[in-house]
Amino acid sequence: MRYRLTVNRKLREVEAEPDTPLLWVLRDGLNLTGTKYGCGVGACGACTVLDGGKAARSCQIPVELAAGRRITTIEGLSSDGGHPCQRAWLEEDVAQCGYCQSGMILEAAALLAAKRRPTDEEIDAAFADHVCRCGTWQRVRRAVHSTSRLASKGATPSEGRQ
Amino acid sequence: MSASRRDFLKLTGLAGAGLVVRVPFLAAATPADPGAEPFAPNQWLRVGSDGRVTLVVARTEMGQGVRTALSMILADELEADWASVSVEQASTGPLYTDMNTGGSDSVESSWVELRRAAASARTMLVAAAARRWNVGVESCRAACGSVVHVPTGRRLSYGSLAAAAARLPVPKEPALKDPKDFRIVGKPVRRVDGPAIVTGKARYGLDTRVPGMLFAAVARCPVAGGKLARFDAAKAKSVPGVVRVVEVSTGVAVVARSTWSALSGREALDVAWDEGGNAGLTTAELVRRIDAAAVSGKPHVSRREGDVEKALAGAAVRMTATYRDGFQAHASVEPQNAIARVSSGACEIWAPTQNPQRVQREAARLLGIAPEKVTVHVTLVGGGFGRRLGADYAVEAADVARAAGAPVQVVWSRKDDFEHDWLHPAGRADLEAGLDGSGRIVAWKHRFASLHLSMFGAFDPESVDQPDVDPWGGYDTPYAVPNLLAEWIAVESPIRTGAWRSVEYPANVFARESFLDEIAHRTGRDPLDLRRELLTGSFPWASKRVDRSQLAAVLDLAASKAGWGKHLPDRPGRRSGRGVACNVYHGRTLLAHVAEVSVGAGGDVRVHRIVTAADCGQVVNPLGVQGQVESGVAWGLSYALKGGIAIEKGRVAQASFRDFPALGIAEMPRVEVYTVPGSNRPTGFGEQPVPPVAPAVANAIFAATGRRARSLPIRPADLAS
Repeated sequence: MRYRLTVNRKLREVEAEPDTPLLWVLRDGLNLTGTKYGCGVGACGACTVLDGGKAARSCQIPVELAAGRRITTIEGLSSDGGHPCQRAWLEEDVAQCGYCQSGMILEAAALLAAKRRPTDEEIDAAFADHVCRCGTWQRVRRAVHSTSRLASKGATPSEGRQ
Repeated sequence: MSASRRDFLKLTGLAGAGLVVRVPFLAAATPADPGAEPFAPNQWLRVGSDGRVTLVVARTEMGQGVRTALSMILADELEADWASVSVEQASTGPLYTDMNTGGSDSVESSWVELRRAAASARTMLVAAAARRWNVGVESCRAACGSVVHVPTGRRLSYGSLAAAAARLPVPKEPALKDPKDFRIVGKPVRRVDGPAIVTGKARYGLDTRVPGMLFAAVARCPVAGGKLARFDAAKAKSVPGVVRVVEVSTGVAVVARSTWSALSGREALDVAWDEGGNAGLTTAELVRRIDAAAVSGKPHVSRREGDVEKALAGAAVRMTATYRDGFQAHASVEPQNAIARVSSGACEIWAPTQNPQRVQREAARLLGIAPEKVTVHVTLVGGGFGRRLGADYAVEAADVARAAGAPVQVVWSRKDDFEHDWLHPAGRADLEAGLDGSGRIVAWKHRFASLHLSMFGAFDPESVDQPDVDPWGGYDTPYAVPNLLAEWIAVESPIRTGAWRSVEYPANVFARESFLDEIAHRTGRDPLDLRRELLTGSFPWASKRVDRSQLAAVLDLAASKAGWGKHLPDRPGRRSGRGVACNVYHGRTLLAHVAEVSVGAGGDVRVHRIVTAADCGQVVNPLGVQGQVESGVAWGLSYALKGGIAIEKGRVAQASFRDFPALGIAEMPRVEVYTVPGSNRPTGFGEQPVPPVAPAVANAIFAATGRRARSLPIRPADLAS
């Protein structure tokens, strides 16, 4: 089957079986490997993308349901790594192995788009279903707070900046 | 000593002198890639005519920050401009014969070699500049990617000198910088892979692509030791995208044009297993075998001082306690995967591996070709933790690629990753102490029993007779006790067991540090004071001795920063306490944690703060050290407080992160790290923070509740008021 979906502000056409998770369409079909496979059952958050601005687990969205939606992956969050979340992630040196971090950054972008100044509890709730075996949590929290400070200085942590 | 045991020692880098193979410093000019750059004085670095400095890293980056730390060492000693340094990952080949990344020794083992390599290059660049100006080298100085002629202020960039430097002889004994002149080493530096990671450009094993490659999922018998009974490929082949279904030595591979087709094809595959003799195996049965060995097995003595039995017989008080830990998975977020391309007597493998030479060796054996015909490319690794010291998944890719007749990426699902992990085995430590009339410890006995680590080969009773190296945390106890006995018993493992971030240390340090706490409370002493009393003189480790006062200093630093002995904040409805624990990792890094915890009425444990102090010689990157402590604390807390792995019907019962919960963001305590200043050779930091976490928490729980946790993971039900 052929499906049309908007990925990183571009209309893309992909050939896939209807039950193929968006995750594999992105990775194998569109070569957007920044979206990671961690569990395939929506339990780790590594495959998080923005679906119309909201964080979504791409392993849980069959491509037939993704058709017509606006999807943003880590590659499309900014053209140059300049999204406030990405800058904060670098500034706080959050990543260790880094594998789960694209999902976390997109989760943070969605959280901050909905909530300009999230509390620790709100951050914990947003990241409750993410897994990071390197234990980068202290820095994740710090990076979300510092993005929120960056944002209040003018930048907007919203979906897909060009 | 058997080959497998020797491999293990080598792999974990613990053996001290003699056993760890090091790549010798090459004094001769051996360009890594002749022609590409004008100046490549050795296999570690190149300087381009554009001034770019390339560091070739022969270790695996898996989050521990090795690329960053080695770049810092190189840039500092070379006097390079930090912005001009980039990293290139080495592949197996004649120049890189030991790329093993385990035992937390990459920085330590590279320290001298890399500095010498960089100092040689710097000396040659300075000489090239002096020649060009026709001045003496002593009037020239290297600084930030240039050579400066001090009297005149003239300056030549490294790029403009590279070609000339390449024609000069490589100095045999280049002068190294004085550590007081370090300008990058010792400063906080952010991870060099950071920009690639935050933009999604970083390529892990699973992201690697090779022209014409297919994808495969392999159906494997879920029971260790079982084998394929029969399969019918028809249903799998009817799944769109499936190209071939082939039998391989680990099971049946479904090869397809996409990952999803491969996974779906495997789901549809009609396959049956002969589960063999382990089909009835349970955790309880494995623990029963460990218990039987602990009680009546013949132990191997690893350290004996004085006469423990006599001292115990004459002791005023005898104390005994048994401590246990459970099976654990690595559960790195990137599941196992590898790409292989097999063609006419040669093989290329791309894998997120910690031990490419092992992959090379084992793939060569499988394919019946010489090891040098196998080239292994190391990708970024999405979490290693010891799991990827095993070569199984990469060798499997070679097997599938050969059978499929095409380059193939074998992808493990999360369930595969749990089911065929090399688990951290359950263990049991029996401790016994004798105290004299004044409460002084006069005898200390530590016996550890666990499963052998099948990752390193079949069980060989002869191979375990290593008098001086097991159990880690038992034989190398830092405490001075006049009569001391450390023993261990390995039980043949019927399941897959292996190295897991700090291996035997967590179980044995948990036992040792908890038992010491029990003695302190029994004799009415402060646990910190008791440790200080026992930290005088030195203890042996391999061919050297470790000064116990260094550990005492580390404990004091942690205690003072944590406010040891001071009042804890009130937390309504919760009981609060502090606990301390420490360890010396293979005679190298000395580290202590103070944990601050509270326990609710239902027994739920919250760890609020961990204060860590360490002596690891020269700190290369404080930001990296801080990160490794945060990481080790999270790892240690998952081990101490969260789920684990159960064996049921011969197989791993956990299939996803839902039933193997790891420490989450809401449970992460505040972590503070302090290091003792030092300019000695840097010692490792990847595994070192893990072992003292569980006992620091257990000791804090006792301080809070009066309940002693002797079994990990600690369950709330055991602590309910």
